[in-house]
Amino acid sequence: MSVETASSSRAQTVSETLSSAIELLENDQNLKKQIRESIEPIDDLSRSATTELNKLHSAPFSQHAEICQNAINIISRTQPLWVDVAKLIPENEFYRYQFALGPTMRNLTTSIVLARFILHDELTPSHTISTLLGIQNDSTSVLQLSAEDYLQGVIGAVNELPRLSINAVTSQNFELPIKISSFVNDIFASYSLLNLRNDALRRKFDSLKYDLKRCEDVVYDLTLRGLTKPRE
Amino acid sequence: MPPRPRPEVPTSSPKHKDPIAQPKMADVDVLMPSQGESSSGGISRKQHLMSTFEAYRSELDTDNERRERLIILSRSITQLSKKLIFHLHRNATSPSPQQKEKCLREGRAKEREIWVNFGKIKDELKTIGEGREEALQGYWRWNRQVSPGLEEYIEALSFLYYLENKSLVPLDVVQKTLSSEDGEPLVIVTPEDYILGMSDLTGELMRYATNALSTGDHNTPLEVCEFVRTVKAHFDGIPPHMLYKLSKKQEETTRSLEKIEKVCYALRLRLIEFADKPEVLAMMAKRALEDAAEREEKGREE
Repeated sequence: MSVETASSSRAQTVSETLSSAIELLENDQNLKKQIRESIEPIDDLSRSATTELNKLHSAPFSQHAEICQNAINIISRTQPLWVDVAKLIPENEFYRYQFALGPTMRNLTTSIVLARFILHDELTPSHTISTLLGIQNDSTSVLQLSAEDYLQGVIGAVNELPRLSINAVTSQNFELPIKISSFVNDIFASYSLLNLRNDALRRKFDSLKYDLKRCEDVVYDLTLRGLTKPRE
Repeated sequence: MPPRPRPEVPTSSPKHKDPIAQPKMADVDVLMPSQGESSSGGISRKQHLMSTFEAYRSELDTDNERRERLIILSRSITQLSKKLIFHLHRNATSPSPQQKEKCLREGRAKEREIWVNFGKIKDELKTIGEGREEALQGYWRWNRQVSPGLEEYIEALSFLYYLENKSLVPLDVVQKTLSSEDGEPLVIVTPEDYILGMSDLTGELMRYATNALSTGDHNTPLEVCEFVRTVKAHFDGIPPHMLYKLSKKQEETTRSLEKIEKVCYALRLRLIEFADKPEVLAMMAKRALEDAAEREEKGREE
């Protein structure tokens, strides 16, 4: 029966090998779960910022700056939370968990870019967003805003602008649509410089064309009716 | 308009060390005109954006080229691994021990050929930056491109290891095999990669067991059956949400195990019946196998 005993001790080893691998898998998955949970309070704040920015569509123009500043303030409250996230991520393994962090970073980028466009008429650069989120400190250096997430987030902000343009006209603000149209134009021209693969960013980029057209249509309607100030 | 405090531009961020990407976004942004100037016209903003996006273009281009190269390497690893598996199937069931040994030796040589390709992946990742850290970061960044090849390789390696040792290759042995001569890992094998690879192994073993049967090798199917059962039992304990891909693969494993068990059933009966006539046994086992295949074919048609 020596064959039987040999095979049973082999089965024993196989069991041990598998058990230890499964244990390691569980550790990995638990960490993933923890990271996903740590991002939840950030998502909550991100949603509050989005809700705040939604007011832009109905509030009078005089309140726009305040709304945008509120949104930025809400977002800056994520800073200590990012420190908690950063603590969980092993050094150099940011991209292993990017799937969990990327969407949040994109949404925050969208809100910041939208708010700062209204406030300063500019496209917020990537590193400014990192600074606002507090992900460039020593305690958060494991985190990064990837080019892909930034570029997608920016388009998210542009997607919001055609609606804002139309609603501005409704509330008789005829300057904002022109500002918007020029901004979207610049951004579209910039994105046209990129050699995009057939991926998510490419699909997002395709949406820009329609946004640009809608924004220009509003300006056209205004010009037709002599509602725009003559350009210098 | 009150002067807006300009965000501080980091002079050198440890994250941005890619020597290939030309002007970094942060550097370009220094050119951003102050608020007062930009109100003089939209042209300066546009120009500024254009130079920023040119930097993005070169970054994305570099990334895309790297992605392509890694995909090509991963594909050739997949192909070589498949070849290794076929090689093992062709010769591992040979009745002559010398033939078998030769097959395993050749298998090892093929395994080393694949290993060279993992070295190339490592080299590719090293071009991201000078330090070890960049390569490691890059590994996780490009993991999705590398992992299909890695999975196939693990399957092939574990099959080879099983034939050599009649046992399951441990995770740390896989990692060791995928390390350079001085022990530096070429790629990182996660428990997930490993477990998915072991799940694939059960399919290869099913084929191996049925092949072994037709050459009159009666021990192998029984051993394999026991082995696959152990693997399946352990993996059944992993909740599906923990590793979704595995729950799909478990269905395949279950089918493989059923096939092996049918073969063993027929085999056991014949072994009792014809204990003293091995040549009859071989014939009968083969027939049982064909019947099983036929029944399955019919089942599928229905």
